[in-house]
Amino acid sequence: MESLLQQLARFSEVLAVSRTPHVSTWDPATVRRALQWARYLRHVHRRFGRHARIRTALERRLQSQWRQDSGSGPAPDPGLTNFQALGRCDLVLALRLLQNRALREAVWHALLQQVFPGPGVPGADEETLQGRLAHLARRRAAVHVLRLHGYQESPVVQEDALLKTQAEGPGGLLSGLWERGPQDNFLKVLAAALLLPPPSPRPQEEETGPGTPNTPGEGHHELLRWLLGKADILAAFCRRLPAGVVAAVAGRHPELSRVYLGLLADWGRHLHYDLQRGVWVGAESQAVPWEELYGRFQSLCQAPPPLKDEVRTALESWKAQDGDFEVPGLSIWTDLLLALGTGT
Amino acid sequence: MDLLRAHCLPQRLAGHCGGASPFPFPEMAQDSVGLSSDYQFWMQKVSTWDQASTVETQQDTCLHLPRFQEFLRQMYEALKEMDSNTVIERFPTIGQLLAKTCRNPFILAYDESQKILIWCLCCLINKEPQNSGDSKLNSWTRGLLCHVLSAFRFDIREVGLFTQGLGYAPADYYPGLLKNMVLSLVSELRENHLNGFNTQRRMTPERVRALSRVCVPLITLPDFEPLVEALLTCHGCEPQEVLWPEFFDAVSEAFLLKKISLPTSAVVCLWLRHLPSLEKAMLHLFEKLISSERNFLRIERFVRDSSLPEAACHPAIFRIVDETFRYALLETDGAPEILATIQVFTRCFLEALEKENKQLKFALRTYFPYASPSLVTALLQHPKDIPQGLWHQSLQHISEMLREIVEDQTHGSYGGPSDCWFAFIHFGGWADVAAEQLLRSEADPPEAVLWLLAFSYSPRDGSQQRAQTMEEVKAVLGRLLKLLRSPGFSARDVQAAAGQSREEAPRPLECGPLIRRLLLNFLLWAPGAHAIAQEVITLMAPTREITHEITGFLDQTLYRWDHLCTTAPASRKLASELLTELRGQV
Repeated sequence: MESLLQQLARFSEVLAVSRTPHVSTWDPATVRRALQWARYLRHVHRRFGRHARIRTALERRLQSQWRQDSGSGPAPDPGLTNFQALGRCDLVLALRLLQNRALREAVWHALLQQVFPGPGVPGADEETLQGRLAHLARRRAAVHVLRLHGYQESPVVQEDALLKTQAEGPGGLLSGLWERGPQDNFLKVLAAALLLPPPSPRPQEEETGPGTPNTPGEGHHELLRWLLGKADILAAFCRRLPAGVVAAVAGRHPELSRVYLGLLADWGRHLHYDLQRGVWVGAESQAVPWEELYGRFQSLCQAPPPLKDEVRTALESWKAQDGDFEVPGLSIWTDLLLALGTGT
Repeated sequence: MDLLRAHCLPQRLAGHCGGASPFPFPEMAQDSVGLSSDYQFWMQKVSTWDQASTVETQQDTCLHLPRFQEFLRQMYEALKEMDSNTVIERFPTIGQLLAKTCRNPFILAYDESQKILIWCLCCLINKEPQNSGDSKLNSWTRGLLCHVLSAFRFDIREVGLFTQGLGYAPADYYPGLLKNMVLSLVSELRENHLNGFNTQRRMTPERVRALSRVCVPLITLPDFEPLVEALLTCHGCEPQEVLWPEFFDAVSEAFLLKKISLPTSAVVCLWLRHLPSLEKAMLHLFEKLISSERNFLRIERFVRDSSLPEAACHPAIFRIVDETFRYALLETDGAPEILATIQVFTRCFLEALEKENKQLKFALRTYFPYASPSLVTALLQHPKDIPQGLWHQSLQHISEMLREIVEDQTHGSYGGPSDCWFAFIHFGGWADVAAEQLLRSEADPPEAVLWLLAFSYSPRDGSQQRAQTMEEVKAVLGRLLKLLRSPGFSARDVQAAAGQSREEAPRPLECGPLIRRLLLNFLLWAPGAHAIAQEVITLMAPTREITHEITGFLDQTLYRWDHLCTTAPASRKLASELLTELRGQV
């Protein structure tokens, strides 16, 4: 395992170097070795794709490495960023070397020979390097053909393919930020972003690239969509941020309020009544305690309608499902409603 | 039908010849003189197309894509034998040709053209550059190669920089982008289909048409399957066909060559919207049947492969397929291959029909309008669903119904004899059962069954002729049954039973196919016939055609027994042995 990680580290270096003028010192044997190495790592990818433990270990190492690299310079080297990237590392290496003008001519010829041996080579197109390179070129042409002659950019940001693809990227902007931490800050910023006032004509921000929205209003949709798609981050969002903040965001975005209520219901159902002490307690340590649950519901009930009414209705219906008891200690929803009072 | 006729299918079927000719394909000249003139032709074409940015250049490019790829392949074969200097000597403008090709995204998007182009470029590289000119050429070639591979002008520049910052290499980016673009287009098409006019993002017919045009080179790219499917299955509200005709041709071709896999619903749409595709599919099936030995298992595999049975659950498609079969039968005078195919097809079709879960199930008469529903219902019953003891009843019933139609002078509301015969042969199992039953029961042959057999072999006979045939068959049966009861019999005895007189010198047995079938059944079922079976067959089969017929019969019988789960180990063993022996002879 350790040797594998070392090889990974060394190959990442090679990959980084492949874009620099340093390759002028390389000879055909170096190129051959580098490609063999890449082929080996690709084999590793295939072999351990199902093997969760090894995969996670490799992924963790790659991501920590990338975090280190990206801290050091303005434009980080997008080499091996995650486990999936191993499956394509020979493609990336080959492309970089082919485009590197610093490679000596004779060495470049040798590279060409290796990468494009011609038709006699056995193996399906999905397997051979030349097949996959050609396939990539074909797909690039396809993108171009579609873009110029068929595809229309969507005015709806979250459906636009270009933006979606960037958002989905393995080091996707938001996911990358979450990975790199600090996470609490990220969550707060997220909440703040979702609570930004509705769009009004503002001067153009100096954002780079079309990936960032032009107006916050559009960005809300994209942001919210992303958040709703990430179950773990969403759970953290609802749990770690203070009740008032989440209530405010939920009040603004009904889709979030629905999910939030679902989570609250789930947390509530994990509590049971301790008869001796007369309180609701959770079985595990991570369970949301009664006080917190109450606090969250309280914030929600203080929110402006329609959220306030929605929450009430939900609580009533859960109470009814549980048996519509009026006596405390039988259904957590009864107790919550009792605690919250009939206040408006 | 014209398509079938154009391929001389009937004659080829009738001739039982092996080695079918492939689909018509424009042959390109192989010699170097030919290559030079092709080169001129393509040089001009590529210059005209340029970047294929207008509708005309796109159309023309897409029409020529397969041939151009073939040309590129031939160029590569020629170039790889030469060194760089010879290449330039021989084809001075090759740089121009390749550069212009690289600029045409439709060419690069098609099949393997980009790969072959790269190979050609590799041939231009001068391994030992002598002077600055050589080096410049190398540098230029290098640039063009990189252009094809990566530094495309098609790259969306600013996004490229942005994604780099996120650690997203083009190798990851483009596949994902393509997938999303396809998904976006598919959802637009589906919206079109479901909402008609009530959607803001409705795709105009012109846009759908343009999309179908630009998709032509990309049909075999797996990422595009959802889009091809959507284009086929989603139609807007236009009364006339919106898709570009060459799109259908390209999809049909790719489908037949198994370069794309489509769900049945998409194939049905393809065939319904574009009749030539269905004709080509049938032609493809026939070509495969001709070029291989008649073997029921193989026929079944070809038929299942073709997706025709599932698609035929749609009555319009079934009718066209059925009519094509009928035409083929007529033109080949009832070729046994066609008969066999019809039977296999019908069985697969019925299986598919049963699996169909559609709420709208069509009545049988939609599929067989030329036969009365009661006849079809009776024929539909598979022998294996009826206890063996009751087979004679079904046979009786079927025979009576057929006889009624055939002998009815007024022809009633359904077709005449030829129609009901055609319906009958779809379900060949019953004719086979009839013949077998006659020989396995000791009782007097029921007239209904005799009639049925005679009818199935010669539907066009007049009633007198038929009566004569029935008499003949009855006589032969009587003699064969007598043989069964005798202690032992020889091949000559069998020969005599078939109707040849004993006194004459031994000569090959001459009898019609019906009698032959009875004899063969006799050989398979009569205990004690095993020893002389081979000899009798040798007597029966002087010509290659008859041998062919007998092997066909044996193969069909084994296949049928498998499906009926008939346990008759001795008969089965004999049949297999005979079959192997005969096949070895041919």
